[in-house]
Amino acid sequence: MKNTLKQLMHSSKFVLGAGIFVLILLTMLIYPLINPGNPLEMIGVGTFAKPGTYFSLYDAMDTKTETLKIADAEENRLTSIISMEDRVSMIEFLDKIGVDVSGVTMDDVDTILALWKANFDESAKPKGITNAKWRNYKTLNNRLSRIGKEERIVYDLDPETGEESKLKMIDGTDYVNIKEVVNTKTLPLGTDNFGRDVLKELVSACGTSILIGLVAGVVATFIGLLFGLLAGYLGGIADDIIMFVTNVFTVIPSFVLLILISYSIGQEQRGATVVAIVIGLTSWTWTARSVRSQVISLRNRDHVNLSKLSGHSLVRIVLTDILPYIASYVVMAFILQVSSGILSEAQLSLLGLGPKTTTTPTLGLMMNWAMLYAAHTNGYWWAYFPVILTITLISFSLNLMNTGMDQVFNPTLRD
Amino acid sequence: MKNNLLKKLISIVAVSAMTVSLLAGCGSTETAAPAAEPAATEAAPAAEEAAPATEEAAPAAEETTATGELPRNETLYFAGQQWGTVNSWNVIGVNQNNSMAIAGGASGYRTLMFETLYMYDPLSGKCMPLLADGDYSWNADQTELSVKIKDAAKWSDGSDITGADVVRTFDIGVEIGNGTGSTYGAYIDKIEADGKNITIFAKKNDAGQPVNPLFVIDFLTGTPIAQAAWIDTLYDRCGGDATAILNDPGEDVVWSGPYKKYFTDDQKVVLERDDNYWGQDASMWGSLPVPKYIAHTIYADNPAGQAALQAGEVDVCQQFISNVQDLWEKDGLPISTYYEDAPYGVCLTMPTAWYNMNLPVLADNAALRKAIAMAVDYDSIIANAMTNQSPSFADVPRSLMNPTDGEQALYDHAAVKDLQWAGNDIDGAIALLDEAGLKDTDGDGYREYNGEKISLNAVCPNGWTDWQAAMEIVAAAGEKIGVEITTLYPEWDIYQTVFVDPSQTEYAIFMWSPEAASPSNPWHRVNQFLGSEYVGIENNWSGNWGQYKNEEADALIKKIPLTTDEAEIKELYTKLTEIYLTEVPSFSLMYRPSVFHAVNESVWTNFPSADDGRNIPPLDCTDGYGIAALYGLELVE
Amino acid sequence: MQGYKKYFTKKLVWFLITFIVAVTLNFILPRLMPADPVSAITGKLAAGNADAKAVQKIYDRYAEEFGTNKPMWQQYLLFIKNMFKGDFGTSFSQYPRSVSDIISSAIWWTICLQLPAILVGWILGNVLGALAAYLRKGWDKVLLPITIFLSNVPAFGMAVTMLVLFAIKLKIAPVAGGYAFDQIPNFSWPFIKSVITHYQLPFWSIVIISIGGQAIGMRSMSIYELNADYVKYARFLGVKDRKIVGYVFRNAMLPQITGLALSIGTMIGGALVAEIIFSYPGLGSTMYAAVTAADYPLISATTLIITIMVLVVTLLLDIIYGFIDPRVKAAQFDS
Repeated sequence: MKNTLKQLMHSSKFVLGAGIFVLILLTMLIYPLINPGNPLEMIGVGTFAKPGTYFSLYDAMDTKTETLKIADAEENRLTSIISMEDRVSMIEFLDKIGVDVSGVTMDDVDTILALWKANFDESAKPKGITNAKWRNYKTLNNRLSRIGKEERIVYDLDPETGEESKLKMIDGTDYVNIKEVVNTKTLPLGTDNFGRDVLKELVSACGTSILIGLVAGVVATFIGLLFGLLAGYLGGIADDIIMFVTNVFTVIPSFVLLILISYSIGQEQRGATVVAIVIGLTSWTWTARSVRSQVISLRNRDHVNLSKLSGHSLVRIVLTDILPYIASYVVMAFILQVSSGILSEAQLSLLGLGPKTTTTPTLGLMMNWAMLYAAHTNGYWWAYFPVILTITLISFSLNLMNTGMDQVFNPTLRD
Repeated sequence: MKNNLLKKLISIVAVSAMTVSLLAGCGSTETAAPAAEPAATEAAPAAEEAAPATEEAAPAAEETTATGELPRNETLYFAGQQWGTVNSWNVIGVNQNNSMAIAGGASGYRTLMFETLYMYDPLSGKCMPLLADGDYSWNADQTELSVKIKDAAKWSDGSDITGADVVRTFDIGVEIGNGTGSTYGAYIDKIEADGKNITIFAKKNDAGQPVNPLFVIDFLTGTPIAQAAWIDTLYDRCGGDATAILNDPGEDVVWSGPYKKYFTDDQKVVLERDDNYWGQDASMWGSLPVPKYIAHTIYADNPAGQAALQAGEVDVCQQFISNVQDLWEKDGLPISTYYEDAPYGVCLTMPTAWYNMNLPVLADNAALRKAIAMAVDYDSIIANAMTNQSPSFADVPRSLMNPTDGEQALYDHAAVKDLQWAGNDIDGAIALLDEAGLKDTDGDGYREYNGEKISLNAVCPNGWTDWQAAMEIVAAAGEKIGVEITTLYPEWDIYQTVFVDPSQTEYAIFMWSPEAASPSNPWHRVNQFLGSEYVGIENNWSGNWGQYKNEEADALIKKIPLTTDEAEIKELYTKLTEIYLTEVPSFSLMYRPSVFHAVNESVWTNFPSADDGRNIPPLDCTDGYGIAALYGLELVE
Repeated sequence: MQGYKKYFTKKLVWFLITFIVAVTLNFILPRLMPADPVSAITGKLAAGNADAKAVQKIYDRYAEEFGTNKPMWQQYLLFIKNMFKGDFGTSFSQYPRSVSDIISSAIWWTICLQLPAILVGWILGNVLGALAAYLRKGWDKVLLPITIFLSNVPAFGMAVTMLVLFAIKLKIAPVAGGYAFDQIPNFSWPFIKSVITHYQLPFWSIVIISIGGQAIGMRSMSIYELNADYVKYARFLGVKDRKIVGYVFRNAMLPQITGLALSIGTMIGGALVAEIIFSYPGLGSTMYAAVTAADYPLISATTLIITIMVLVVTLLLDIIYGFIDPRVKAAQFDS
């Protein structure tokens, strides 16, 4: 055992795979400690807030300000109000309504603004301009009114009388230290369609999905091992019957079976565990096949025959004389089952056949919601890409471990 | 013996292998498309046959088929209306799944190919004449309604549209039990025709009054008129068998509208303008609609449709788009909606959570019903589920009415002001529950009723994302006031089996939308909210899903259709609103458009918008009076 | 011939028994669902209908038409009988369209997409795997981890990533569908071109994923064969390297064919999900629509067709294998 581990540690692939997997596990354990709370809590009222650090504007107003003279602040502000594209579209508009813009350059903001102010009339939509464009011009026009204002005023509203009183003047050079703002919230991966913290949800989902993979793997490996051992060791009719069932279920695509079973169970009964068990129940055939062939090659070995002659029970022979010899193989098969279990859950969920929603986040469900809300076509990458990456990484690490083990246990494959 | 079996088996394999390869052969050519070509050319001769007058149209069709490309600047593309493949063109049939040609929208019939007598305009609440000439008129006791059909109105085969067509459309509907028959059979006794004039006789109750005159008017805007001669042909072809008539694909149908079928397959449906359309007569539109083709690609789901809208492959999109303003504010796309700012569209309905009165805890405790409704954070629902595409309940206080000005004017706002709530009122809800004696006596954080913990579920179909988000927020409100509410999202087919069952006790709070807009609204909707007419009916798709009974409300509801005095109607509606807000048999969660209407102006422009002074409702340029938009479209310069 | 005969008969009997099991499962499983699909059709028709009694009539009519009011075993016999006539009943969600009609229009998109994609993936994978085994070191070090990584990207993940990258960001590929939005199917160059452009993303997303698994398998087998005694012996005898590689490659291929036969079911599962992402008009999208609409005749039929497709391919591969595999050949000479 110790020796095997030592050997494994020499395989760079195994180490890399195990390293990634342990890292994922550690994140799952540690992150909830840093950021505790219900991963399904809807903190955002809107949908798909961008990743980043948010600070409370309400509190920022009461935070001590420092005056900082920053050279390009003014310039930045101006470009945020009137970008290059805005300038192009303003000139286009002016040209369209017949203003002479031949000499105007893009950098000449003042001239563009002056011409705009002189010629843009919000109440008169010129013919031939689309609604969409016209509305853009109007919002742009509103935005332009901010240009040149050095200070902005904050008013306080008396809830009783409805009276407004001046609270504060905010100058263009006022800055607050974000560390001193009372309430801030960092959302490294933004929020999803429900306004949930994606990273928090992802960590929790990752745990559930790995658990689903493990349960599916245990179920599949157990059935496969049992059938494989029985078929291989007993031979004869038992072998025929078991192999009959195994062959049938190898040929019927497991994905099809999964869909059919998940569908027939119905949404209400479909918890994460049930889905995991169903996945396990449809994916044991591989293990059964290979265990059987391994056992067949073992069962006539001398040490097994010796055990038989000594009158040891079937259970004992299997446990002491056969299992240890195929253990490494079974572990490898188990690892593959775990990784395909995670993938199966994700695929099922995408079809809308995943575990019951809203009680547990899983990677598949996160993906499903992101797709339902068209996150991919809308550019909300944080809602789906980390999920794909996580599934890939888990699966990658497990397969890498598997390849590493393969090379250790099958010396011919070694580098 | 064994050998024989073997031979058989081998021959079976051989045959099946041959079949497979043969099919594969056909398949590869099929994918390369000629299979669809016959369909298109088939459509053209059919059109020719049915309409000798449109000789010009058929060769034109062939020409386009040859190039196989729809000219972009002559085609208006849609999304969000047609899901799945078109089944049939039989306007008097059922299950046509033909949303572009045969679809009674929630706020007006889609009159591209088949036309109604009147077009409904939910903005003004008026019926605009289409096949009809001028306004309809009632006799004094609202038992007989007269309509005249326009002189210019003609079928696609050139024959006149007459009263006989209307009569036959109604009669066949009653006989075979299609939508028209089953919807209006209970309210219309018979229709009589004299040339272009028709008289509709309302069904009368025992007292000799009309059962419901409002539904008679619904008939005018909701029933596409079919040609009597064509109905006869169909009838003979099917030997008068009702099921055969209902399921006939109707390839030879005769139409009256401005568009006709051109091409359909699994991936799209295309209508082509009928250049002989009668409506270009000065007595109707005075011109043909602008786009030569109306095309609808069949998208797999909402995201696909939305992606196409963003890519400029769709001009008019009837889909809920979350954060629609991002499309122009953030992405700078040439996309616009009816209103410039939130709620962006015209909301005509209100998705509602219904309390199940079969559960004693809900039936016995009006205070509980109201407390939950008061505690719900509607602003969150509107921000999240509707991404603010709904007015808030502070802007449009809750009542039985949709947010249009026409309906809002139908009740006395001041009289019910104290009964209304805008939501998120946790303290008020807690006080109400305490006062009603629903308290937490065993200290588990949840209140009890008759010694038992109040535990409810909030249910809507799985995958209906905006409703699911809303139900989550309802559940959160329950938590805050000490009432356990868990969410449950069954698959749609289970959901719809349960919620239409009048004796179900499985769902406590569940969602469904009442009627949107039509001449019979808001009365129809009020009846759905409060009328006991629907209580106890099996497979109840009609209304009052919570099984609420109130005799006082019933009496008031019965009066309205027969009342013509406006002040009296207003008083009746106000009283009903009072009952509704006190009893809270259900509570609306948001306002919602019945059709969404986002347009991409990269090819076409001059779509209806709130400030253009034309008052064309934003109904996708197809529904009810919304079709008027098609006549004003312009190409982007 | 006796050996072949025996081998093929055995395979065929298997095929038939499996087929029967598959059909039975396809019938029973969806019908265990505790829902009433007839109510769904009724609802579609009756929504907005004010007269509740009329709705009940509509419901009864459909229950009769679909035979949902008959006992289960009668429905099963009917199902089998109709199936052999190619009749899978009427779709609930697209009523009154027949299921066979829906499937026959979807199936060719799927076959034309998946078969070539899986084959190309298999061939590319095997070539890369053999190369990796033969060249070892540099290639192996870089190529192997990359292929393992790529083969672990879930099919839908690859599809979404490619869609976002090529269709939405770079705008060099279409977003959805089987052909362009402004085309009407016909035999013209613009149409065929648009079919081809729409084919690219789904095709390559499947190919890229299937390369990895095959390459890894092929590499292992090749290394195993390269280290085998016969190779050492042949080298010792001075047989040309090229010739040895030929043998090695051929021997390593054999298990790869069985591997393909065994994994084709799994591959199709993933590829079907990829179809949904691209709104490709094949069986995957059909199945998705059927699941969302709880249309069990359609679910039964799509899953059955997929099973049959996998069965046929497996059988074909088994037959090919029989011709190539020396052991089966040997068995033939024995008799």
